[in-house]
Formats: sequence, C-alpha cells, structure tokens
Amino acid sequence: MRLIFTAGLFALMILLMTGCKPNSVDRINTGASITSISRLPENPLEMIPMAVSLQPQRKTMSTLYGNGIAAKRLKDDADYAAGSVLYLVTWKGKADPDWFGARIPDRVMAIESVYFDQNGQKSYTFFKGPAWNSGLDLKKEERLSIILSIPVAKSP
Amino acid sequence: MKLKFKIVIGILSLVLLAQLIRPEELHSAKAQQVKRLAGVPEEVAKVLETSCFDCHSSQTSWLWFDRLTPVNFLVASHIRDGRKALDFSQWDSLATPKRNAMLYFALNGMLSKEMPLSSYTALHPAAKLDQNDIDLLRAYLLNTALSKPASTKSNSKGAAQSSVMEVKRSPNGIAYLPNYRNWKAISTTERFDNGTIRIIFGNPVAVKAIHEGKTNPWPDGTIFAKTAWKQEQGKDGSVYAGQFVQVEFMIKDVKQYAGTKGWGWARWKGENLLPYGKTVKFDSECISCHRPERDHDYVFTTPFDIKDLNKK
Repeated sequence: MRLIFTAGLFALMILLMTGCKPNSVDRINTGASITSISRLPENPLEMIPMAVSLQPQRKTMSTLYGNGIAAKRLKDDADYAAGSVLYLVTWKGKADPDWFGARIPDRVMAIESVYFDQNGQKSYTFFKGPAWNSGLDLKKEERLSIILSIPVAKSP
Repeated sequence: MKLKFKIVIGILSLVLLAQLIRPEELHSAKAQQVKRLAGVPEEVAKVLETSCFDCHSSQTSWLWFDRLTPVNFLVASHIRDGRKALDFSQWDSLATPKRNAMLYFALNGMLSKEMPLSSYTALHPAAKLDQNDIDLLRAYLLNTALSKPASTKSNSKGAAQSSVMEVKRSPNGIAYLPNYRNWKAISTTERFDNGTIRIIFGNPVAVKAIHEGKTNPWPDGTIFAKTAWKQEQGKDGSVYAGQFVQVEFMIKDVKQYAGTKGWGWARWKGENLLPYGKTVKFDSECISCHRPERDHDYVFTTPFDIKDLNKK
C-alpha cells in the first residue's frame, strides 16, 4: 500500500514538474516578415541592411537594404554605382512587449525599390501589399531623392 | 521522556549558538539612510524606496526574522546580488541618462513580474507593488524621462577609419567580430528610453535556425550583433542613425559558455571600439538584464523570418 502511495506521489511530482516547465515556444515576428514576394523580384530582407530610420508622425520605421554593390557605400561613402539595388521597407511600429522603452516592427506597410542599370539610370518602383503589385506613386521623384539621400548607418 | 527533553534542549542550544554566526552585512547593519532620489517626483521616489531599496540600495531594513541564522545568510546574498544589478545608493553620482536607464531597468523588472521577488514580498508585504505604483512610474518615464533625437550635425560622422583597427578583446576573452555588417537584419528597434536606434544582425546559423523554427534554444554557432546609433533628427522630420554608440554580441556555445547561460557576451563601445567591462565577470551584468527572457534562451529579439522566396 505504502509502495503504491509513494509511486503515485512520485508520478504526481514528475507530472507537476514537467507541467510547470515553461513552454519553449519559438518566437518569430511573422507579421513583420515578408512571407510571400508575389510580384516582388526578390525578398529585400535577404539583402544587406544599410540604414534605419523612424517617421515619428506616422509611427513607422524603415530599413534600407542594398545588394553588394550598393553596400559599398557603407565603407567609402561613395555614390551608388551602376548595378546598385536598393529597397526601402517600411513597417508600422509597435510597442515591444518585452521591454518598456522600445518599439519594434509590426507589419509591413510599403516596399519601395530603386534599381540602377548598367548606365547608372535609376528606376523607382512602389510595391503595394499584400500582393506587392507595383503601384502608381505620384511622388516618384521626391521618393527617389529621399531614398538616395538616407544617411547610411556607419559603424567602425 | 528525559532523552527527548535533552534532544530538544540540544537542538535549541545549537540554534541559539548558530545565532553567533552572522553574515558581515548584519554586523554593520546600521541601515545607511539613502537620500530621497533627486529629480524624481516624491510619489515615484516613494514607490522605489518601499519596493526596491531593501535589496537595491544601502538602506536595508532588516526585520527580526531576516536577522535569524541561517535566514540572514540567504537575505544577505540576495542583497549582494541585488545591489550588483541595481544600486540606488549611487543615484547622486549618476548623470541623467544613467538615472533614466536605471528607472527603465527597474520598471521593466516590475512589468516582467521579476521584481520585487515574490519570496521577498511574501514576507515583506509592504513592498508589494500594485498597478497604480507601476502606472505612476510608467507615466513619469513617458512624460519626462524620454530621450530626444539630436539635430543633424553636418558631417559629424567619422566612422570611416574602419580599415585596420586593432580592437582589444573583451575582458572575458571574446575577440571582436568585424564582419557582422554582412549578416542579415533579424530585427530593428527604436529605443525611446535612451534615444538610440538599433539593428540586430544574425549570422547565417541564426537565420537558418529561425527558418527551421529552432530558436528555443538557439543552436550552437548562433551569433547576434546588436548595433546602436544615436537618433538624429533629419531635416525632413524623419529620424536617422547618427553617431555610432556600440555593438554587442551574443555567441552561443553551450559548452564553452556553460558558466554564462550558454552565451558568450561582449560589447564594444564608441568609434574606437573599446571593450566594455572592468573584470572578467562583467557579463553577470548582461545576464541580469536578460534574465526576464530566460524562457526564451535569454534573447530579447523576436526575429523576422528571412526566406529566399525565389527558391522553390
């Protein structure tokens, strides 16, 4: 009888211990990830992050990505050379649930790209979610110059 | 009957004798009165004093049962660890940004329900915090202790000397990793508590782990590099990454870093990449701040899933 009781108690303890173990869930910010490119030629999140910016009025945050050619600017501050590809991805920001004092990307609001062809000609495209169709944007020239003048985030 | 009596007496006298052995802290327990925190509204200062000061300042009020051996040894070790992580006695010697960082650290400890320790509040119910106390501190930080971006200084960034810079090792022996700028951004953060903007880079092992859903725990070989820049106000109203502040690394190796939760921790500050930390054990500071994330392998960042979407 005593043996059964002990065994039962032991089993209960193990159950309690494993039951109280924190669930080890993987945490991925899926909402802020680009999970389908549809009409996008490539996934900008795969490229080299070059700059970050905040737009306080709109509560958005952007990251400027570049291909290898564009990323040279990180080192020498030179103009974007022919063959450069830039993407500006803009997220709606949200309060970081894990740290009061921080805001993190929530969902993607817009994706813009700038391609420099072999002659250095620039072409700007605005992609509209969720299918990332290339949409019309009336302020094309303005956006182009804003994107090209974003100061890159330099590190020693 | 007599034997039992003798045993009871024996135990009692042992307990009494044990009272002669006490932690150092109690010998000098004069409870140095810490001044009311300067520059903070009285209500806010009071909340911190009531709920934090016993372990996070030199002003400890020992209750009678705290003084009993062996309880006092446990209490003393809690206080020692507490002061190491956060010590309000140093308040007067700190500049405003450091003070604010302290308050944000304290508030985040409260919000994550880490602090005050439940074992402490169980015996010291007066130190328990209610929602009003927390809201008070939160409102104060949001209204007054907010970092504002600096305005653009023309060509103030001198980060171009990257070429061949000799970077010293971190005090725990970790060597600087210069190639993190080729890694992918697994997230970005706006930190309004200290006026910085950050990119968190993940090495290929980290990106693969995210993709395979194996991030808790992160696999050996995972490395994160978190870079911080000062926020700088642009002419167009946007805020950009200005002056480089620091880069921090977390390097996963369960065996090599068994003593520090499986991670190697390191930080290099400023344009000159000076290693942070005075002693080998400086990383206990990193761990105490990351402790609320212990169920997430000590990692704060919730990463993007980065897929090569052209690959089928």
